[in-house]
Amino acid sequence: MNLRVHREDLLAEMGYRQPPQPKLLEMVDEMLGLLGDLIEPNLAFKEIHGNKGLPPFLVGAALKYAGAATLGPKLENRVKELSDERKAAESYILDTAGSIAVTKAGDLLWEKIRQDAAPRGFKKGLRRTPGCRGIEIETQQWIFEKLGDAGPGITLTQACMMVPRKSLSFLARFGGKLGHGFSCEGCPQYAQCTLRSEK
Amino acid sequence: MIKAIYTAVLEGKVEEASTGVQKALDSNIGVSEILNKALISAMDLVGEKFGEGDIFIPQVLWSAKAMQAGMDLLKPLLASSDRLESGKIVIGTAKGDIHDIGKNLVAIMLEGAGFDVIDLGVDVSPERFVEKAKEEKADVIAMSALLTTTMQSMAEVVALLKEKNLPHVKVIVGGAPVDQAFCDEIGAHAYGTDAVDGLRKTKGLLGR
Repeated sequence: MNLRVHREDLLAEMGYRQPPQPKLLEMVDEMLGLLGDLIEPNLAFKEIHGNKGLPPFLVGAALKYAGAATLGPKLENRVKELSDERKAAESYILDTAGSIAVTKAGDLLWEKIRQDAAPRGFKKGLRRTPGCRGIEIETQQWIFEKLGDAGPGITLTQACMMVPRKSLSFLARFGGKLGHGFSCEGCPQYAQCTLRSEK
Repeated sequence: MIKAIYTAVLEGKVEEASTGVQKALDSNIGVSEILNKALISAMDLVGEKFGEGDIFIPQVLWSAKAMQAGMDLLKPLLASSDRLESGKIVIGTAKGDIHDIGKNLVAIMLEGAGFDVIDLGVDVSPERFVEKAKEEKADVIAMSALLTTTMQSMAEVVALLKEKNLPHVKVIVGGAPVDQAFCDEIGAHAYGTDAVDGLRKTKGLLGR
């Protein structure tokens, strides 16, 4: 699974539009060098059959999926260790690299779902993450119930947050008519949402 | 010598900042002068540069670390009148929230500026925030949240402070879904857009 994070992408994510000083580039390269050994990606998805108890986002869809992806726990453990060692910049850079990698894992998962849907005539679909506009965070429980044993090794906290933290989940739908209330506009994370860029 | 320390902090050179402070102390330069003219002035400029988009978080963190290295040498020598940032901050991530990178950055900035920071970690209940603030006689509670669902517990902290009659404890909030409108709505005292702004607003809350 190719989740390689490019130096330019990492620098851009941290705000750099011009190459920074060599010391920072060295640190960025060092953290990117660690990344490969720290991520243990795992993806899972499941087609949802039937219409009973569906989250509102999936209602009316012709084809429905639940999916989740994780980078595993090693990355965040190392991020914490670096922070505890007072290496805050390294910790921040590695964490940011992890955020990019988990977004890529989400894109790969989405691609796999689209490949599953394509032979049935569905080319365009929508995906949404619990906590985004119109989808209650509690929908996480529904997703992981559906994934069951096929789940990628993610557990939920009482507040429905995923552990490991560098994980994501989403609902996906193809065909049918989407109900009201799922527009991205008005979402507090509208400006910085990475999922919107696919549109 | 002051200029060398100032430059070391500005450029995030930890060893040079530490060595410079030690040399300055050995040369009988006053603690207050080192603190104000070198460390704090440099961090003020770092904050300005960050605000203007000239530098970004990794560089701010280097500078904070360099300042911290200098502060470690100065702290035992500081008279109470020298301690410009004499304040105690209880910081943590809102109940239900386990994301801590933003909170950690703010804690580093506050510590770097000389505040006494008590980090409660992640998933902190409103009761724990308030109990700790009371126990430690804290001046400020600083809270961070990543999701709209978890930021709601920040309102409970504000309400609990009122209930426990602790009006002197100020509350600052931050995190991706938080904005000034939410801060106003729950009755918090300040909203920090990022770690540097969080530091600036905390200083403001304490009249610095």
